[in-house]
Amino acid sequence: MADFWKRFKRNRGAVIGLAILLAVVLIAVFAPLLFPQSPWKMVQRPFLPPFAMDRFPLGTDTLGRNVIAGLAYGARVSLLVGLISTLVSLLIGIPIGALAGYFGGRVDDALMRFTEFFQTVPNFALAIVLVAIFEPSVQSIVGAIAIVSWPPVARLVRGEVLSLRSREYVEAAILSGQTSITIIWRQILPNTLSPIIVLASLMVATAILLESSLSFLGLGDPNLMSWGYMIGAARTVIRQAWWLSFFPGLAIVLTVLALNLIGEGLNDALNPRLSRKGK
Amino acid sequence: MLKKLSILAATLVVAASTAYAGPVSGGRANAVIQPEPPSLMLGLVQNGPTQMVAGNIYESLLRYGPDLEPLPQLAKTWEISEDGLTYTFHLFDNVKWHDGEPFSADDVVFSADVFLRETHTRLRQSLKYVESITATDANTVVFKLNEPFGPFIGIFEVGTMPMIPKHIYEGTDYKTNPANNTPIGTGPFKFKEWVKGSHILLTKNEDYYVDGLPYLDEIYWHVIPDAASRSVAYETGVIDILPGGSVENFDVPRLTAMDNTCVTDKGWEFIGPLSWMWLNNREGPTADKRFRQAIMYAMDREFAKDALWNGLGKVAQSPVSSSTRFFTDDVNHYDYDPEKARALLKDMGYDGTTVRLLPLPYGETWQRWAEAIKQNLEEVGIKVEIVATDVAGWNQKISEWDYDLAFTYLYQYGDPALGVARTYVSSNIAKGSPWNNVEGYENPKVDELFAKAATAVTKEERQKLYTEAQQILTDDVPVAWLLELGFPTIYRCDVKDLVTTAIGVNDGFRDAYIEK
Amino acid sequence: MLRFIAMRLVKAAIILIAIVTLNFFLIHAAPGDPAAVMAGEAGAADKIFLEQLRAQFGLEKPLLTQLGLYLVGVLQFDLGFSYRQQMPVADLIFDRLPATVLLTITAFIISLVLGTVAGVLASARVGKWSDTLISTFALLFYATPLYWAALMAVLVFSVQLNWLPGFGYETVGGGYKGFDRVLDIAKHLILPAGTLGLFFMAVYMRMTRASMLEVSTLDFVKTARAKGLKPGIIQRRHIFRNALLPVLTLAGLQAGQLVGGAILTETVFAWPGIGRLMFEALAQRDYNVLLGVFFVSAAMVLLFNLITDILYRVVDPRIRVS
Repeated sequence: MADFWKRFKRNRGAVIGLAILLAVVLIAVFAPLLFPQSPWKMVQRPFLPPFAMDRFPLGTDTLGRNVIAGLAYGARVSLLVGLISTLVSLLIGIPIGALAGYFGGRVDDALMRFTEFFQTVPNFALAIVLVAIFEPSVQSIVGAIAIVSWPPVARLVRGEVLSLRSREYVEAAILSGQTSITIIWRQILPNTLSPIIVLASLMVATAILLESSLSFLGLGDPNLMSWGYMIGAARTVIRQAWWLSFFPGLAIVLTVLALNLIGEGLNDALNPRLSRKGK
Repeated sequence: MLKKLSILAATLVVAASTAYAGPVSGGRANAVIQPEPPSLMLGLVQNGPTQMVAGNIYESLLRYGPDLEPLPQLAKTWEISEDGLTYTFHLFDNVKWHDGEPFSADDVVFSADVFLRETHTRLRQSLKYVESITATDANTVVFKLNEPFGPFIGIFEVGTMPMIPKHIYEGTDYKTNPANNTPIGTGPFKFKEWVKGSHILLTKNEDYYVDGLPYLDEIYWHVIPDAASRSVAYETGVIDILPGGSVENFDVPRLTAMDNTCVTDKGWEFIGPLSWMWLNNREGPTADKRFRQAIMYAMDREFAKDALWNGLGKVAQSPVSSSTRFFTDDVNHYDYDPEKARALLKDMGYDGTTVRLLPLPYGETWQRWAEAIKQNLEEVGIKVEIVATDVAGWNQKISEWDYDLAFTYLYQYGDPALGVARTYVSSNIAKGSPWNNVEGYENPKVDELFAKAATAVTKEERQKLYTEAQQILTDDVPVAWLLELGFPTIYRCDVKDLVTTAIGVNDGFRDAYIEK
Repeated sequence: MLRFIAMRLVKAAIILIAIVTLNFFLIHAAPGDPAAVMAGEAGAADKIFLEQLRAQFGLEKPLLTQLGLYLVGVLQFDLGFSYRQQMPVADLIFDRLPATVLLTITAFIISLVLGTVAGVLASARVGKWSDTLISTFALLFYATPLYWAALMAVLVFSVQLNWLPGFGYETVGGGYKGFDRVLDIAKHLILPAGTLGLFFMAVYMRMTRASMLEVSTLDFVKTARAKGLKPGIIQRRHIFRNALLPVLTLAGLQAGQLVGGAILTETVFAWPGIGRLMFEALAQRDYNVLLGVFFVSAAMVLLFNLITDILYRVVDPRIRVS
């Protein structure tokens, strides 16, 4: 562990990323304490510019709602949706990849055709249709994001499993009569963990982007203040009020950037063999 | 915001009092049409954009002034018998269809009795009162009713009863007739070309039966699918006329502050768009009258009007719009009063059940409005969950009564019997339509009042009945009335006489001219 | 090569049918149907009118029959009729398709060319400030939401500086002809294609850089160096060529993203393409249009895949020799 942290620390970007992410997480967790009033509450006159009043440092929106409170509550939605949808897509992708890699042959063929099919459908378009059909809510958004983002997981896991499948210790386990499920679960998957963790950190970033894009198009959960929603709602007034779309966008960029940096750091720390080659 | 509003108010006054300098012929009007109409055949399609463009091509027997009094159109004069059962129309005798064929009373009979009876759902409701339609000579048509029907004189409007050429449509399959793509009417402008996704071009009807009209040479309807782009197109001078509803409300103050820009909210008196929230009277907290009244007190409708509608329109006081006939102000007024709302909720013992709110999926303004109302309601302690959906889902949920609160707005068509009764009479409760009595309000007294008022002959009698109905309804609050919507038409000030009737831009550019 | 293309086409056809079928069921599972929407817009919906519309759309038939009829139509290149728009779906889509193709292809080329060039530059100066600069920018683009970049571009280049048009495909009522029209469209294309390309540029840049570094450590490069070939030649002939392979693979995989991204770009820039058409059709449950757009966009993705596959074969020295 200490070794891991030492390697992670060596990547300066990753440390910065971690710091940013930590800040975002803290803001998200303590949003209700920082801003006891609902972010939907109309607190001042509409279109108050930033820095005009101390209590509303980032101004107010079209209905006079506090922009900075919206940002804080938006962090909760982004992180929540990012994390859960990544977990769900891991739950879909890992079994499919593991089965395909382990059994090979027909099973592999069938599962990979299936995966390929989902890679061919325009991702974002499918997500839009899914959310629109099941009606925008946190559940439908998480589901849609998971459904369009599992294929890379499956491919990655398949590749790893394929290469581990022929290792001696796996062969030994097969000969000792363990069931396939046990072997996959006990012997193989633990060894594929590092690349999965790296991929997952990048997937959280992508999921946050996807959620914000859906919300931007008006397909977000209407009861939750999210960054994408704030930008979407500000789009029509961009000429009058630039700050309404600028700040939420900045929040997204920072968060996604942080996650990507962390992903790289994790890659360095967990797969030292690979990362040294690049440097 | 306030400053912008006062500028807006000032321009409204200016627009209303333009001095008469005498019309001149020539010129092209560049207007926006949004969204692109599915078809221009007004007899088959009657949605907003179709009416707006096709109102120049087709005509009906009458037009209506801002006070909803009938004016001549294809009918030069008309008489109504004492008993209110016989309507006789004398037509202009020099009217030609755009293809040169003469227009006659036979066309009127074909349009009303044959074509539109089959295709026009809304007209069909009014035709139930008609016993016969006959052409007594080439220029005279007589409508005989089986019982008096108060609003009957109001149905001869172009969107309700457009005249369809008999010589083209008789005996054909109306829906697939190729002539639908090149509409032929009697109106001041002829159909010239339609480049889908780009524009519709109408040109002057040189043979128009009123001498000297129209003034304009052509009307160019631009299709610009994005709201922000439409306002830029006006700013850059590509567009001269933005009909009501074609730009986002947030853009209105900026555009109206431009030089040489006039704005009017007139031209919607006939249609009288009134917005409200459906309240499900059948179940949940909304079944309790006190809960519904609490909603009325909890909503800050003035704020919504100012912040979302640029101060245009009016807070609705009654189920009848103030521009519709037989409106009365003598009802209980629900001013913004959160305290009263809280008291009512306490009195009924509201248990904190969450109610679902369905916004109208017609763009940003409506979405923001739902958010504002949700906030209003939560402040008096009502728990609200917004349910997001699109146009199709919204239709479905309302028709199947699957909602607690739901935004909508409906047209009144000038008379309570046409556009108001349908929302409140119990005979109009039926699943499958989002436009009938979907709130499930049942009150025999109200049913009786509306039924009597529709067939009463004198105005005074009708007013008395409608006043009572409005008083009962405002007390029962079957739905939560929001605003009489004001859709501003924005245009260059040198375009004159653009909106002269109660049907506004939809009534065509017959009298419009461009000042040189 | 021809056989290879034929095989790929057959495979593509099967995937296309699968996509259409999946979407068919998804779309029909949604609440609300086009008849209700149309009746609603006409401001009147009585039972008779709705029944008429439903019969006209063929909605009263069993679902599988509808699917069968649709697929048979598709095989004859008939995408059905949009009763909402009173137009055959194929006409509707082909009206809008050129705009989307222009947008995506331009963005694809911009991102691929700029991305690989930047990647090569960065890899040639590993660790120097120019590498850091390029990599940082790539990282930033990678983290920026496409629609936000688009909005900010409009704000800066269109609203503030007034250099470029911020919406539309060409000047409305501009009446440009011939070459002037091409110029006009090109001007309108810069911002949408540029912002759509940014994200992918970052992806290709990072991939090229990593891949260049990876290849440069391989044995055959060492051999070439030992032979005394000039570094520039090694860079171009040996390293770049091989480093391009994974980039192309990635480009093929990203094609779906590109078409999806076009939906956002078209929304922000009011670009009259099929992305917007799809979004409008979805709200109105215009089934045939929606299915048609899916069919066409999936076909576009497959086409992009095919192009990258062919490029791959052209570039890959091993495959060409054998």
